[in-house]
Amino acid sequence: MTAAQIRFLALVRREVNRFMKIKRQTVGAPLLETFLYITVFGAALGSRIKELHGYDYVVFILPGLVMMAWAVNAFSNCSSSILQQKFQGAIQDQLSSPASPRQLLTAFSLGGFLRGGIVATLTFAVSAALVDIGIAHVLVLIPGLFLVGFFFSQLGVLVGIRAEQFDDVSFAQQFILQPLIFLGGVFYSASLLPEPFQTITHFNPLYYMIGLVRYGFIGYSEANIALSLIVLMLATASLFAFNLRLFHKGYKLRV
Amino acid sequence: MALHITNLTKRYATGVEAVKHVSLDIEAGEFFGLLGPNGAGKSTLIHCTTGLAQPTSGSIEVFGHDAIDNYEQARLAVGLAPQELNLDWFLTVAETLDYHAGYFGMPKRERRERTEELLETFSLTEKRDERTRTLSGGMKRRLILARALMHRPRLLILDEPTAGVDVELRLELWQYVERINAEGTTILLTTHYLEEADRLCDRIAFINHGQLVAQGSSAELADEYGVTSLEDAYLGLVGRKELSRAHIGAEEVAE
Repeated sequence: MTAAQIRFLALVRREVNRFMKIKRQTVGAPLLETFLYITVFGAALGSRIKELHGYDYVVFILPGLVMMAWAVNAFSNCSSSILQQKFQGAIQDQLSSPASPRQLLTAFSLGGFLRGGIVATLTFAVSAALVDIGIAHVLVLIPGLFLVGFFFSQLGVLVGIRAEQFDDVSFAQQFILQPLIFLGGVFYSASLLPEPFQTITHFNPLYYMIGLVRYGFIGYSEANIALSLIVLMLATASLFAFNLRLFHKGYKLRV
Repeated sequence: MALHITNLTKRYATGVEAVKHVSLDIEAGEFFGLLGPNGAGKSTLIHCTTGLAQPTSGSIEVFGHDAIDNYEQARLAVGLAPQELNLDWFLTVAETLDYHAGYFGMPKRERRERTEELLETFSLTEKRDERTRTLSGGMKRRLILARALMHRPRLLILDEPTAGVDVELRLELWQYVERINAEGTTILLTTHYLEEADRLCDRIAFINHGQLVAQGSSAELADEYGVTSLEDAYLGLVGRKELSRAHIGAEEVAE
């Protein structure tokens, strides 16, 4: 293993170690939350709605829940980890090491990506035991979920770098991210909304992400799949490039 | 040459010039002291050397490697024990050392051996699995020094390493750094304890208002300020000659 590989691995190990040390909060709590969504929306509401576009209601919402688990945990891990380390000053240990801006950014992002991946996988595993759900298009699902995970990791990194207090992170999560996810159609089909809400939904990027993942799992989508994948890929790459520029400049990291 | 700083200026976004046109050379193997009042620019100069701050102009070379253009090689050569107790609360004592060495590309076996060696040297072996936040102030200070030494730096930067530590630890630290200096490690020390600088340093530089105003051995500095001790030379630097013990002693004799 080269010195650069050892360095990168150490940076990633540190990120994984952090969230595994507090796994009740970082993995357990999100799992419980998803379980509650399935219970409340799936069992209680599902008994009244029955079917949406030919799918059981609980099956219709599950892909969105898996995606939401990955997105929220990726975002939350990256933003909290960076802010906590800035707050403690401990980030100086990584910043004064020979690690390149690209290694630092990728390692911070991977921490969130992996935590999101673990929670999403466990969510799916638990759901699959409770509900009859398969995978319709694995070649759309895997890249779709990976892109969602990486996109929200980048967003988390961006918010973590900019944040100066914990309130900044929770503001972004509670007032921007959660509403976008909920209004993107996790729990309903946007085609059932009255105008102008249906059109407004089409301006929400989360609508297309949920569409991608739902198509991957159950084969149903209202949006153009190829276009959604391309746009998501471009958006993720742009955000990565933007963050990389911030790491190169040392924005709010190096004085 | 261990450290070659040429015409270094650091201006913060606020417009404050913390370091102004500083040029400084430290020979390999030297024990060099940097003295000055709070806010004089000592830490900023150190941060520029270690990549925690970005110089506005000028250049820094560490063992011939440019600190900006060839930061990887330059940072490999530097170990920093900062003034703040900037430890990661999530990590244990042993993990703190292991990750640091990982960031510097040390292979696993070497990391493990070096960790054991430094835990023993700094009397931290019993605390190896404790989280850093549970350590006493003195132990945190020892761990920070051990961390700086993990990757066997050729230039060790100690930014006020004995601030707030008890007498026995101070003496232990002095003995240890004198030993590694004798073994060939170059040391740059900032301190407010003039006795410390007087005892340990081959050469000392005075910095005030971001400018390097004098440098030489303790005796040369005293000569330059027309006094008999390093302390009086320092008081001359900060314009507080009336606080001189020699001056107060002379007045008492006159009375």
